Formats: sequence, C-alpha cells, structure tokens
Amino acid sequence: MKKKIIGLILLVCVMGVIGGIYLLTGGTGELGEEKRTEGQQVTKTKPATQVSGYIGGEKVGFLEDEEVLEILRNEYGLDVDYSKAGSLDMMTADLSGRNYLFPSSSIALEYYEELHGTPKQSEIILNTPIVLYTHKIVLDAFEQQGLITKDGEVNYIDMNQLVAMIQNDTKWADIGVPELYGSVSVDTTDPAKSNSGNMFAALLADVLNGGQTLTPEGVGEILPQLQAIFGKLGYMETSSADLFDQFLRMGVGATPVAAGYESQIIEYAQMNPEAYEKIKDDVVILYPAPTVWSAHVLIAIDESGQTLLKGLQDETVQELAWKKHGFRTGSAGTSQGETEVTGIADSITQVAQVPSYEVMRQIIEGLQ
Amino acid sequence: MYMSKQMKRIFLGILAGMLLLTGCGADSGTGREEEPRESQNTEGKAEEQEKQEITRVPGGQIRILSGSENQELETIIQECSEATGVEIQMEYKGSVDIMRELENGAPDYDAVWPASSIWVSMGDTGHLIKHSQSISMTPVVFGIRESLAEKLGFVGEKVSVNDILTAIRDGEMSFCMTSATQSNSGASAYIGFLYALLGKQEGLTSEDLQKPDLQADIRELLSGVERSSGSSDWLKDMFLEGDYDAMVNYECLIIDANQQLEAEGKEPLYVVYPYDGLSIADSPLGYVDHGDAEKEEAFLAVQEYLLSDKAQAEIEATGRRINAGGVSKENQDVFNSDWGIDTERILSPIQMPEAAVLTEALNVYQTSFKKPSLNIYCLDFSGSMSGTGEEQLKEAMAQILLQENARKNFLQANAGEVNEVVFFDDTILDVQAAADDSDEALAELNQKVADFQIAGGTDIYRAAAEALEIASGYDLTNYTPAIILMTDGRSNYNYSNFEEVWNRYEEDIPIFSITFGDADPGQLEELAKISGGRVFDGTKDLTAAFRSVKGYN
Repeated sequence: MKKKIIGLILLVCVMGVIGGIYLLTGGTGELGEEKRTEGQQVTKTKPATQVSGYIGGEKVGFLEDEEVLEILRNEYGLDVDYSKAGSLDMMTADLSGRNYLFPSSSIALEYYEELHGTPKQSEIILNTPIVLYTHKIVLDAFEQQGLITKDGEVNYIDMNQLVAMIQNDTKWADIGVPELYGSVSVDTTDPAKSNSGNMFAALLADVLNGGQTLTPEGVGEILPQLQAIFGKLGYMETSSADLFDQFLRMGVGATPVAAGYESQIIEYAQMNPEAYEKIKDDVVILYPAPTVWSAHVLIAIDESGQTLLKGLQDETVQELAWKKHGFRTGSAGTSQGETEVTGIADSITQVAQVPSYEVMRQIIEGLQ
Repeated sequence: MYMSKQMKRIFLGILAGMLLLTGCGADSGTGREEEPRESQNTEGKAEEQEKQEITRVPGGQIRILSGSENQELETIIQECSEATGVEIQMEYKGSVDIMRELENGAPDYDAVWPASSIWVSMGDTGHLIKHSQSISMTPVVFGIRESLAEKLGFVGEKVSVNDILTAIRDGEMSFCMTSATQSNSGASAYIGFLYALLGKQEGLTSEDLQKPDLQADIRELLSGVERSSGSSDWLKDMFLEGDYDAMVNYECLIIDANQQLEAEGKEPLYVVYPYDGLSIADSPLGYVDHGDAEKEEAFLAVQEYLLSDKAQAEIEATGRRINAGGVSKENQDVFNSDWGIDTERILSPIQMPEAAVLTEALNVYQTSFKKPSLNIYCLDFSGSMSGTGEEQLKEAMAQILLQENARKNFLQANAGEVNEVVFFDDTILDVQAAADDSDEALAELNQKVADFQIAGGTDIYRAAAEALEIASGYDLTNYTPAIILMTDGRSNYNYSNFEEVWNRYEEDIPIFSITFGDADPGQLEELAKISGGRVFDGTKDLTAAFRSVKGYN
C-alpha cells in the first residue's frame, strides 16, 4: 500500500508540476489572480468550458474520478458534466445542449451517423471485453458440467454449451444448484437500450451461427432463437452499472450470472478495496470463449466535445483508465492497479467479430 | 460511482500537499466541510481517517420522494440530518406513484427512494437519475398467524405459492395485501401469484395474461383478499388494528409487526418464503438531477451517511438486510428464527416480466382481476365549500370518475365496480349511483357532481351513516368496499347517531376521509379509528389525496 501511495504521490507530483507550469505559461491568467471561493475547488479567473453529454453507466466512475477531472480541467480547460443513458437510447435522446456522447460500441456510432449524420469527430477511447460475472457455487456447477476451462486463475466458459443449456431450459436444480430458483440464464441489460446487453446479443448471434459472423442473409434463421433466449429473461435493466451493482448487492439468488464489462470488477476493486476483499472469494469472472470487444467511442458533437476527445486520449488519462477503471487502453497488459483482481486475463485472444450495423439493427429491432 | 471517499481524500490530501509545494496555494476543500480532525497532508493521516468520516454540507436541503416502508427509518434519517447538516424532507408515496412522478420529471424532488429499482428504471425515461444505490434489502413474504401456519403445515417446511393458494381456496386462510397497482409489495406478490398459477418459472407474456384459466384462478385468489391498501406501512398498521389471518408484506415490516404483537402479548406472525414466488425490494436511493450542484452535494452526503457502517448497522437493526450473505451477529436477534425468519437461505427471487408485460399485468389487475371496489363518496356541499373548494372537489372527482384520467394512474374502475355519491350538508341532499362500471356511466355520474349546487351546514356523521346504510345493501364479500368522505368544515358533533348505525350493521368498511379547508382531523380520525380507515390531507393537493384513497381499494 505504502509503496503505491508513494507512486501516486509521484504521479500527482508530476501532475502538480505540469499544472503549475500550465498555470504559469498557459495564458489562463497570472497566479495572483487565482482565487479561492469559500468551500470550493480552486477556481481560475477564466472559467473552464462546461461540456455536457450522455455516457454509458459503466463509465460514471471514470468520469467522476477527480484525477481524470483535474487533468481535463487544468490541461484542457474542461468541466465535464454527464447524464447516464443506454448506448443506443442516448442516440435518440434530446441532444440539445449536449457536446458529446460516450456510448460503448461502434454500433452506436453507426446508429448516430444514420440519425444525425457524420459527427464532428469520433474515436475509440477505451476497450473492454464482455465477461460473465457469477458466484462460486455456480462456477463449481458449471465446472462439473464441463463448461469451464482454466488457465491458472482465469476461467473460460464454453459458450456453445452454455447456450445449449439455456435453450434446453435446464433448471439450476438439474445441474446441482437447487438453492437457485428457475432456469439457467444470463441476466443482461436490455439489448435494445444498453450496450452490454447488445454486445451479449451479438456474441450469442455468433455462437448460434456456428461461430461465423452473422450476415444479413442469416438473420432470419438466428433471430427467432435470440428472441426465445431473451424472451425468457423478463425485465431487463437498462444500465450495465445498475445490473452490476445488483449482481454485487443482491447475491447469487437474485442474479446467478450477469453479463457485463471486464472493467467493472477492476474498477470496483480499485475504488472499494475493502469491499472487494470481502467478496473476492465468492465473485467469479468467466471469460466467454469466444467473447466480443466493447469499444467505447467518444462522439464529439461540437468543438468542446472535440477538446474532450483530445483530453481523454491524454496518456495519463489513458493510464488511469486502465489502472483505476479497468478499461484496456494502450496501458493494458501492464501491471494492474493498486488492488490486484484475481482471475483477470493478461490478454484477450478468443474474440468473435461483432456483426455489422445492418445486422445488429435487425437484431435490436427483433428484440424490442 | 465507486469513488470511495477514502481514495478521494487520499488523493486530495496529497494534491493539497503537492500544490503547496508547487506554490499554487490551493487547498483540498471539496466544497464539503470535513467533520473531524486536522489537515490531510500526509498519507498516514489520510488513511487514518478511514471511510467512517462524515461529510457535512451545512445549509443543504433535499426533498426525498420515498416509499412508505421507509417511515420506519425516520430516527435514522433524523440522525443523518444532524450528522450531515442537510435538512431532509421526506414525502411518502407508493412505488407506482414514484414511477409516475419520475416520468413527469419529478420537478419537486431531489431524490427518489422507492422500494425497488424496477420503478426507477421504468419511470426514468428522461435519464434524470444519478448515483442510485441500494440502501437495504428486504424480501416480500407471507406473514401468517403462527397457529394457523402450524395448522397448515407451513412451519419449517418448503412452501410454494400453490400451497398457500390451496389454503386460500379451501377457505382456511384469508389475507391482506397492498394494491398491486399502487405499491411494490403488492405488485411483487401479484406477479409471483401469476407465475405460480401458470406453472411457469419465467418469461411471463402478454398471451399468458389472456388465458381464461389464469384469469379465473387469479380472480378466485384475489377474492381472498380481505383488505387492500395503497401502502405497505399502512397495511401493517391496519393489520395490527384488525383481526386478520395473514398479510403479504416486507420481511422488515413483519418483523416490526411481530415486535408490536409480542409487546402486546399477542400471537406473532410466522414468515413464509414461497420459493416460487419470492421477490426482493432493494430500496434504491437515487439523485434526481435538476442541474443543481449544491443539491447533488447534499444528496451525496446523505447517501454516504446512510451507507456508512454505523447507519447500515442501525438500518439492519430495523429488520432490513444490508448484505446478501446474511445478518451480522449483533442484529441476529432482530431476525428472530422463532418467527420463521431465515437469514441463511439464499433468496432466489422470481423474475419480473419485461416492462410492457408488467404494465399490462398491472392494468388487468386494476380493471378485471382484483375484487371489484365499492366506493361510496360522501361529498360535502355545505356553504363553506362555495368557490375554490367546490371547484377543486369537482376537479378531483373528475380525476377519478373520468376514465381517461383515471387510467394514467392505474386507478380505472374495475369490472363490477360500484360507485355512489352521497351529496350532503347537514342533511342528505341527494344520492346518485353510476348505472354500472362503464366509462359512460361514470362520466354521467361525474356530470351530476359537476352540476351539483352548494347548500347549507355540515354533518359528516349523517353522511357517513347514510353511506353505511347504502353499502350494507350489497353483499360485501364480493367487494372491496370503502366510504370516502370529503369535507372542509367542522361538523356538528353527532357521533352517537353514527355509532348506532355502525353497530347495527357490523360491517368491515373503512371510512377514508379527505380533509380540506379547516376540517377537524380529530372528528375524522375518530371515524377512521372505529372503521380501520385513514385520514388524508387534501389541503395541499386534493386530487393527489383522492388518488391515494382510491389506491386503498
């Protein structure tokens, strides 16, 4: 702990110096003009530009990180405000007064382009694979059924077998978990509204299509199967963050298996090390084999959105994104943050291709 | 969202140190006043402060729209207010009302705190909710008189919803539940009933709801509902006042009821967790973002306090669960296993249907599945009502009787519903009934109310007695009856006349009163007490008060 704090001090030190230099040379006014408002953050005489936009819930922690905000404020002159919305929902939301959108997939970008035309600029800022979160008793049962391959502490789950179980209405009791009521299923967010559910649908489409990326011609055959699987899920959360919270909070009975982003558990562990310590023996990360990438794209609607895009590509911001929030960036693969999360894969190799926007749109419409 | 305070402080503390070094002269103020202790310049001290430190936002004010079950937490909320310096105004409504309020942007509230997050996700169409966190959890269960539970063979056994339904069908048990269209506990139980009757474990569909067998079964089951209520907390109070077999309610409220029952030397309720019909209320507290940073700060301080170890332990002591893995040692006694409370079992809830199916299920509950309502409205047309009073009364009645209005709040008339209006001053001026349950008949009745003219003095007792006589003309086992008395003035005191009629009929009919103007709540409370009714304050929002009353049957 101590060592890492010193590391952090060094990091902040560098930032502080950069900040200082910036203040001295950056044309935001002289040092003397800096004033302190009662009970508030240091405000510079020239106020920062406020940027506002919609983000997927899983990035709330990242955009509330004081370290990230400081860099964006001091080096890019931005005060970042956000509202939470599903990646697809946000495209049809009221965009007046919004400077940027930060959905979780490139599909969402294509959706944006269809609705609103080419944005000012757009770039993939963060990546994270879809994983399944579950609990020890479920892992044990899956393992017994031969669904799990282990690589050290990393668990991979065979998607073909899992999908077959779901399609056959296998009950939890049938695979040795009578404590759980109902059938084997994976809770996801609403694929028509939120990205993690949407990406999971993309993954299922690939699995159901025999491991081939689904083409527009093949949708007719696969869609009814997807509808059957999602039809059994009932009410779906619209935010990946809410689903993950529920998974952690309400225990194995309420959410035996949930689809989410790999980043979520890493961020949780960094932000709540003590709480993570308590759950880490029970919470299990399953990497679907294969999985799909969720690419978090920043869509800049106007110039200030563009500045934000630049700020988020800042090297330090990118490093914070991995170490504190678990998003795989250029820094991924390097050591983890302060709290080491058990069962995180070094690299993501078995990846399926997300179908084209054309296909995904048909899937989304079919699942609505 | 997961930004732990500790991390933040460590960082800010360090930042403060560093900025001093770089000569910027900043400090670490986050805009919140940190309660205890010295400066935070070193990692050691920052760490020492731990997460139990309380953020203070003096002068902060937030208005929370909350489910009624949180009324039990008032002491803790009071402490929270003192500790954080934030003035907290609580307003209680049913979960469905909270959902409606959110759909309309919740302009009068800074936070919502319904029983379950499903109402937040369904209502938050404008994406206003931020920082939503579950404060506690409690399952929706059956509480059955211990001796009856024993007799039915439910003690220490795995019980299914169908086991309970059989007991109800066989006439061995009747029960009370909240209205499925007004309150989360009622809605959760109702969805559990539907799955059990369908023999399905998941994936309730709209087609399922159309099945004649299901419709017949659920009507029969709901005919066993002795009393309904718009809110879970009041259901518990009503249960304690009355003489009933069982209620569907939150585990925490059954615990609360049992504590009171045992204190009075009465038989406690035995908690049954139907394995195929269980649901969990996760009590999310979320910030409604109206773009006011000070409110947000105050909200976060309050939420942080409620999630602190100290507050969480106090919340657990009220019978709410704070973690899925079981109950802490010090509060084990609260979750008394003699009452059937089981903290070891994995709570595996049923699945809530998708939003469209849920809405449809609630609609058919209101219009055709639940026991028909029998509403006798006693409307005060005394002289003092002249002007605004009269206008508002007529407007409120139009919200209930005109079905296009009622539908918006899941308050539309159900099949077989009876509606009568007693117009009174100090005499009975007129009595009018809707011909049947159709939209047209109700609109006609509404027209009669709209056209009615103001008259003389006030006598609520005469009106209530008249209503009682009218109600007694019906076979009340087929209805959920209610007398709804709306008055603005102090009445002549004729309680004994009323009491005589009340004793003569011996019916279990609640008298709900809505106060208006300078009505005497004392007189109305007296009527509520004898009948197991309730007094609603209509002075601020008469229409809302009418809607709440209607939610009770």
